[in-house]
Amino acid sequence: MVAGNELKFESPRFFTRIKSMLGVDFYRLFHTPLFYIFLLIAAFIPALILGSGGMENPDGTTSALLYTNVWNAVAANMPLYAFSNIGEYANMNMVFIFGGIMVSIFIGHDYKSGYVKQLFTTHAKKQDYMISKSITCAFAMACMCITYLLGSVAGGLFAGLDFSANVGSLIIAIASKMIMSLGWASLYTFLNVIFRRYFGISIASSFLFGTGLPIIAIGMIFGNEAGSVLNIFLYGSSVYACLGSNIVTLIVCLVVSAAWAAIYNMLGTKLLSKSDVY
Amino acid sequence: MNAIEIRGLTKNFGAKQAVNGLEMTVPMGAIYGFIGENGSGKSTTEKIICGLLVPSGGSVKLFDRNYTDADVRAKVGVLIEAPGCFPNYSVYNNLMLQAANLDIQNPEREVVKVLKMVRMEGAASNKYKNCSLGMKQRIGIAMALLGHPSLLVLDEPINGLDADGMRIMREVLEDITGTGECTVVIASHILGELEKIATHYGIIRGGRMIKEMTAGELEESCRTYVALQTRDMHQSKMLLGRKYSRVEEDETGYLRVYDAATPEKIVTYLYENGILVSEIKTDKIGLEEYYIDLMHEKEGR
Repeated sequence: MVAGNELKFESPRFFTRIKSMLGVDFYRLFHTPLFYIFLLIAAFIPALILGSGGMENPDGTTSALLYTNVWNAVAANMPLYAFSNIGEYANMNMVFIFGGIMVSIFIGHDYKSGYVKQLFTTHAKKQDYMISKSITCAFAMACMCITYLLGSVAGGLFAGLDFSANVGSLIIAIASKMIMSLGWASLYTFLNVIFRRYFGISIASSFLFGTGLPIIAIGMIFGNEAGSVLNIFLYGSSVYACLGSNIVTLIVCLVVSAAWAAIYNMLGTKLLSKSDVY
Repeated sequence: MNAIEIRGLTKNFGAKQAVNGLEMTVPMGAIYGFIGENGSGKSTTEKIICGLLVPSGGSVKLFDRNYTDADVRAKVGVLIEAPGCFPNYSVYNNLMLQAANLDIQNPEREVVKVLKMVRMEGAASNKYKNCSLGMKQRIGIAMALLGHPSLLVLDEPINGLDADGMRIMREVLEDITGTGECTVVIASHILGELEKIATHYGIIRGGRMIKEMTAGELEESCRTYVALQTRDMHQSKMLLGRKYSRVEEDETGYLRVYDAATPEKIVTYLYENGILVSEIKTDKIGLEEYYIDLMHEKEGR
């Protein structure tokens, strides 16, 4: 590199930069207990919901079944944007709520530990940070979707529930929700960049957006007729991925997730470039 | 080519101006002692150099390139405040993480190498949170050294180190700058220690650079004084005070006469006034005293 006082500079190419940043984030992800705890949480919740239905209570009564079909714990029968009953909402979309909390803690540790100093000193391009965090957290959330699925199957088997479904639609629904992880992860990364100095607010904001309350509120005002419009939002598309999904659903989720990921990454990059990072 | 060239740098935090038109030049291969009071703008300047803060005005160039260039920044190692380590990870894992960040080939070998450099190879498996302050500082240096940086920016790296730790740190810095391939900027309050290693100095006050000089220039600027002891220090001080403009008693019990031409004249003068000199020597003020003098000068004292 150095000959006498002559320095040779090698401009790191985009993929080289991203590779090293991803290397850090995946190393951290696989070495943090947080990731495994959230994988277990994602598996435990559907297993608990499905497994506890129909069980005998201490007073001799039997608790009501939230679902009779296992796959309703994964996705609703049809897209319902307006709130009707909790069973229609308590599905794989919950992963995006836990995922938001996980992303907040994961990114928050960067700032709390001061590791961002190392990252931003050596990585001048702030988009590297946004892209790498979004991809890593999307991967983590996609993994949570898988453990959620496994937990649902285990809970369904335990409770002896019905497993009948249109396999093609089911696979598309699951794949679509996993694809939505990228958009959600980008949103949470952006929120955590905004509130990087306020750990509690980061978690609270991720939780708020993860519940989809803003979209549910719109759905309640305009009814399910507003559905196609609401699909342009992350929560709308996540709801759109239901047991009646087809290839259009997959394409919509892919486009919406990628578009929001690009928007949030661009906004986050802009914010980090124009403001003090530590 | 200079390693760092800063022109007219300003940084405001709301209404507060932390750095105010700073000019700074750090030649390549230098060990640059960056000195200033608390709140003088040292850390802010270092953070701007590392890209952690966005300047309000002025320009920063590293190796003749804009400091935001990705290629130049990949060559910067940093230890600002505390090392950026994850407390529940081992020392080794923290360094491996940094090796991944820098995309280093043979990361295991490089990590072991830097651990050896800072004499920490025996503590690799310790959790970072269980390390002492001195160990943490050395881990921070090891982290900054990964990837063979051309510029090291260190903020108070010798804070909290014991005498042995300071010696190790001094040796490490001398090793890495020995070839002239690495430039080091060190902000420190421990001026006595800084004086042993620095080749250049920059003194900052109120966000402005008030003096930049080489170690040689400091040597020339540091005033010579005559230090002496007599049986009657009080009377001696009074007598010498009439003849010389600056006479002070130092903390070691010597009387210092700053503008004396030769020790012989002082001995003769005191003898003529009935005072015998028991001990006398000539010496030069160190960096610390130079700095204090300069600060007093700026305050108009």
